[in-house]
Amino acid sequence: MTDGPVKEDSLVEAEMLVEAEVIERNSIEVPGIIPAEDGPVIGLAGDDTLDKHLRREMMKEERAIAMQFHGGATWVYAALTVTCFAIWVSLFPLAILGYLGPVGLTLGFLFSTFCAAYGFIPSHEAMHSNIYPRGHKLYWVNELTGHLSTIPIALGFGVARLTHMEHHKYTNDPQLDPDYTDGAPNWWQAILKTWWNRQPGVEGSVHRYKKMMVDMNTPASRKAAMQTTILQLVMLGTFFGMAWSGYAIEVAVLWWLPRQVGLSWIRYWLSWAPHHPQERGRYKNTKIFRARLGYWASMAMEYHLIHHLYPGIPNHRQKEAYHAMKDVLRRQGVDVSAH
Amino acid sequence: MTEAIRKLFAVMPFLFGIGFIAPLTAQLMAYWGVDAPFGMSRIAFGLLFGGAWGLYANIKGRWL
Repeated sequence: MTDGPVKEDSLVEAEMLVEAEVIERNSIEVPGIIPAEDGPVIGLAGDDTLDKHLRREMMKEERAIAMQFHGGATWVYAALTVTCFAIWVSLFPLAILGYLGPVGLTLGFLFSTFCAAYGFIPSHEAMHSNIYPRGHKLYWVNELTGHLSTIPIALGFGVARLTHMEHHKYTNDPQLDPDYTDGAPNWWQAILKTWWNRQPGVEGSVHRYKKMMVDMNTPASRKAAMQTTILQLVMLGTFFGMAWSGYAIEVAVLWWLPRQVGLSWIRYWLSWAPHHPQERGRYKNTKIFRARLGYWASMAMEYHLIHHLYPGIPNHRQKEAYHAMKDVLRRQGVDVSAH
Repeated sequence: MTEAIRKLFAVMPFLFGIGFIAPLTAQLMAYWGVDAPFGMSRIAFGLLFGGAWGLYANIKGRWL
């Protein structure tokens, strides 16, 4: 199979328009120093005309590099999702039929936790239509990947996509960023916060997502909210049904506990770590960092800034893109000391 | 329909307590060979424990 699709010129242009809108929304204007159309830049204050010209040139340079990293072997995300989902579903009848002993259940727990946490990566690519773009004959594969990969965490793909787009538009805005409630002063409080936000009476995590769907009140948000509701009812029905049929431990080990761990893993690495301490601005709202657990355990989020600058660059190419863009990013004021 | 679902989710912690925590408690006790106190059956203890915990979560808005 050949490499995945590279977006058509019109789609790339459309994506750049969206990025331009995001830049504008994330801008911080400092009168006389930093014009509103760009984010803050270190060391170029003084001559507004020169500053503006230089930054426009840097932006062109940055974009020219970034465009080289769009596309690639994105079909792998879809193939892995379908394979993992099929294995994950098969664990339930295997457990009921007694084929999974203590060792099998332990391995099943590890695999289910992997599916719950790392399934968010392909769903994230699908949210941005990076697997196959809108209009492509295989766009349905993009959508299927998105829907399947979020089932283990019982979050409807529609809600995940709509709220994620809001996150890009309003990153670190206390009122408008759906993920703002993941903020915490340090790593251990951030882990606690991922659990706290899931409590029934706390407006964080999926509770905040659901509220935002109601506030949006569009046909898409209503449909997305209903999908999540149905998904959660199916999950709870499976929990209750299996538990009262004598398989409570099995369903706890294969779905309930992996979902809890997976959700915390996702919130910590995708939401807290790259956005802490929740500053605003195109080059400030996300950071380049070094994770103590490494590149893979952190779900490649060490380079999450690249994703916010260019959401069309798939996850597996962000590290490479960062190193190609490192020099221009440093000139844009980004702290590039971590890598 | 929407209102019915909203009401259902409003009491979900309690339902989760009796629908999932109760049988899970009873089956974990059986797995580890632990008997329920006061001569209760394990599932009766599970219902008491799970129901009370779910009710607490419903009222307080948090599980702990």
